[in-house]
Amino acid sequence: MGTIEGSRLILAGLKDAGINLVASVPDINMLELINLLYEDNEITHVPVGREEEGIGVCTGAHLAGKQPAMLMQNGGLLNSCNGLTTTALQFGIPILLLIYYAGDMGDNAFHMVGLVTEPVLQGLGIKYTVMRDPAKVKQDIAGAVIAAKSSKRPVALLLTRAVL
Amino acid sequence: MKRFECLQAIATLIKDELFVTTAGGATAEWNAVRPSDGNIQVKTLGLCSSIGLGLAISLPKRKVFVFDGDGALWMNLGSLATIALHQPKNLIHICWDNKQYESSGGEPTVSTAGNIDFAGVAQSAGIQSALAVSTVVELKEAVSHALGQDGPHFIWARIEAGRAEAPPLRYDELENKYRFIRYIEETEGINILRVSLPASYQLK
Repeated sequence: MGTIEGSRLILAGLKDAGINLVASVPDINMLELINLLYEDNEITHVPVGREEEGIGVCTGAHLAGKQPAMLMQNGGLLNSCNGLTTTALQFGIPILLLIYYAGDMGDNAFHMVGLVTEPVLQGLGIKYTVMRDPAKVKQDIAGAVIAAKSSKRPVALLLTRAVL
Repeated sequence: MKRFECLQAIATLIKDELFVTTAGGATAEWNAVRPSDGNIQVKTLGLCSSIGLGLAISLPKRKVFVFDGDGALWMNLGSLATIALHQPKNLIHICWDNKQYESSGGEPTVSTAGNIDFAGVAQSAGIQSALAVSTVVELKEAVSHALGQDGPHFIWARIEAGRAEAPPLRYDELENKYRFIRYIEETEGINILRVSLPASYQLK
């Protein structure tokens, strides 16, 4: 479910980094964070049915001047590979990918998805940070947004239970 | 009706609306009929409706057209439900249904058998303004209505197969993106693309 403290810190980090639109597909470990997004008035929250739709929504938002993020589980990263490749990467669209790292060490669900997550990001050429230190949450988010904006590419943050 | 004559009819109705056009024949034809930096091509089959939704949510006072195809809409049919969930008043989604994957060589789509009613799907998903049209007159009426009333609007345009002669696009996706963003900056009076000053300029 995540903790309310961890989720508040992530939300504050997103706001500090200038993120103002978040598309999402839920995961149980991000329940608190998604609840905060539903209540928040500053960030436009766009729930979608499938993660690749979210890549499209974030692309449209960027074209219109927003700073978008896509919140999803790593299974959703796999669902969005074509959109990431032929839209986000091919057009050069900066999107912050906030991905819950299912199947990470210590997480007993979806071990196969966990196994392929980092190789898939590497194969796509998407830079990423695995977030394990609650003290570095804001720094990790700010760094990823700067990397996305300067490279005009999606950049990923893999959220582990340690920071949620 | 042919898609090209439909596009010519729509061009007489529009001003500075934004157009997101599917990975398919509609893109080259529309850019021939209405060359503008307010047109953005899509390379991912099915994603045009989602990109249009993101634009429409982010620029709520601007009309956004999405040109979809039957094969593309089949790939992202769920986007109709997502559009219905968010109810963007400024979105006008047109599906050019030629009952085939024209750009892939003419293979059948879900529409070929004639069982699916895309307007019915859109309406049942929660898009109240969902119409089927099969003549240019009906299409012009539907688009005029959509331009004058709050949406979201969905128009299922049942067309003949076949492409018109249209030149290839003048620019690739990167140049298209920059031109499209610049067009939004100029017409909306906003600054989107910012380049940071070199660090040396930030020293006192």
